[in-house]
Amino acid sequence: MTTEVWLRCHDVERYLGEDESRVHALRGVSLELAAGTVHAVVGPSGCGKSTLLYVLGLLDRPDAGWMEIDGSPIAQLHDDELAQKRNEALGFIFQFHFLMEDFTAQENVMIPMRRLGRLSEHEMLDRAASLLDGVGLGAKLKRASRHLSGGEQQRVAIARALANDPRVILADEPTGNLDTENSHRAFELLQKIVQERNKALLLVTHNPLIAELCDWVHTMEDGRIVGTHSRMANSSSAIV
Amino acid sequence: MIPPLYIALRFLNHRKRAFVLSLCGVVLGVAFFICIQAQTQGFADHFIESTVGSSGALVVNSRVQFRGNNLPVGPSGSFSSASYSERRFLEGISNAPEIMRVARQFPDVVSSSKVLRGRLSARAGFESATVDLFGIDPQLHFQTTDLGRQLIAGSAADFRSNPNSVIVGSRLAESLQLQTGSVIQLLAPGGEYRRFPIVAIARSGVGAVDGVRIYSHTRVAQTLLNKPYAASMILFKLRDPERAPALGRQFAALFEHEAESWQEREEGNLQLFLTLRMSAAITVALVILLAGFGIFNVLTMSVLSKVKEIAILRSMGYRRGDISSIFLWQGAMIAAAGAALGCTLGALLTWGVSLIPIQVRGLLYADHFLVAWDWRHYLWATLLALIAVFIASYVPARRAAGMQPVATLRGSSA
Repeated sequence: MTTEVWLRCHDVERYLGEDESRVHALRGVSLELAAGTVHAVVGPSGCGKSTLLYVLGLLDRPDAGWMEIDGSPIAQLHDDELAQKRNEALGFIFQFHFLMEDFTAQENVMIPMRRLGRLSEHEMLDRAASLLDGVGLGAKLKRASRHLSGGEQQRVAIARALANDPRVILADEPTGNLDTENSHRAFELLQKIVQERNKALLLVTHNPLIAELCDWVHTMEDGRIVGTHSRMANSSSAIV
Repeated sequence: MIPPLYIALRFLNHRKRAFVLSLCGVVLGVAFFICIQAQTQGFADHFIESTVGSSGALVVNSRVQFRGNNLPVGPSGSFSSASYSERRFLEGISNAPEIMRVARQFPDVVSSSKVLRGRLSARAGFESATVDLFGIDPQLHFQTTDLGRQLIAGSAADFRSNPNSVIVGSRLAESLQLQTGSVIQLLAPGGEYRRFPIVAIARSGVGAVDGVRIYSHTRVAQTLLNKPYAASMILFKLRDPERAPALGRQFAALFEHEAESWQEREEGNLQLFLTLRMSAAITVALVILLAGFGIFNVLTMSVLSKVKEIAILRSMGYRRGDISSIFLWQGAMIAAAGAALGCTLGALLTWGVSLIPIQVRGLLYADHFLVAWDWRHYLWATLLALIAVFIASYVPARRAAGMQPVATLRGSSA
């Protein structure tokens, strides 16, 4: 039985800055995110973790290499088409939640749905309520996000990332701003969603406890993935 | 509701104070523009109405004789201005009834009145003045001009029934201390003053008319002015006074008489009104421009304060166009609300100004501010506001659309 691969990249290169400050941020990174798997990217600060996340999330264009999402190559896509792809196939979770502060929890979850435009206002409200209920915030739909606790805000961000039922969820330090208990709750929630809904999750983390719980752990150094460990296979292999 | 509009509404709701301040700028700019245009055009319209009403929309004057038999009419029937300079004027109109008969065939002509005009001395008590005598056929003249409606004392019927009576301009009556029933003396050719009873006093509203004009029957004027002809000019009332210059050129060519439209006759005064309107429009447009600067500042600050939200939206799949639309919609809502409220306030201001009493006794006669209710003032004010706000919104909107979400997200990463 072959596992579906939702996101694939090969030999991705990315330079940041110009002239003397030019940095080779990604050096031939290759990666595959299969359905139902959770991947962690670990490494020291400045090793290129976030850059990789933004490139995979179509927020930044690679200088070289090849990428495809859900079987479609994205190299030739125009800026608007990339935005469309981001809206349909990708869900983002950020360290600082990045919610619209004046919007309620429900309205925040509806933001990606509004852009997609496939649901009526009533359907969007229902779906947002259902997603928030799924992350344990069913009772706080109408609360302004700035009045929610850090853990609750992160759960709203998780619900928002799932709004358009994306194939891939990309998370940048999703537990970095939470205490230990909330970190584990948030991670367990993500893990459950990935397994139940057959999604792929890539998260950047500094937390070794969280990384250990992932199916795959990719270690980065100087823009390269220098090691990939599989928890399931209990084996390790270097891709460089 | 489209997503950018929804988000724009939410952003505006979040920055109510800035929104209200921007709105106030547009509202005041639009309202001042409308009110000032209404006033300047109000005075201009009153002047035009008065001058057309008292002296006709089009006047055919002296006969023109062209040297060397150069016909002023071209082969296509057009009037040649080249030969027009080689002309000589012959006083009086000898064939006035014929000209009036032919002119009536023109669909633009409503009616016409022949006038024998001349200057002479007038005396009343110890006061004397030089007056502008209009010898008229009462029936034709009352049809062609607003003289009947301009009477502020006495009656037109008395004038019609008494061939030796006169109507005196209101300011002339004031300066000579005359009223209906009193007598004015007009200098006859023999050097003697003849006495005429005043049966009515007319006020056209134009100072230059009311200060010198006296109306008499044609035969009286012919005697006093000692003219062999019964008309020195023919006044025409037109369906559309704006057509006067074009019709004047046709009449000049057709009748070989000088023809002068009210626009040519009042060119100096019209230029003055136009200059005043332009000056007022420029001044008030600056207010709208300043409101535009205010909106530019508010939206620029909004873009800077929403950098995080812009990055969020971009990461959620919103396009650059969506982001710029959010800020353009904000500008559009300020412009629309500002124009609607500004038009309402402008109408109220205009109405309020029209009630303010003033005494104008110069070029015009008015007892209160004169205003014109013209929908075009509202259209222009709205267009100006829309253009100013669009320009003010465009730059911040472009800036927002050009923002790189990665820069914001990276700046927030651990």
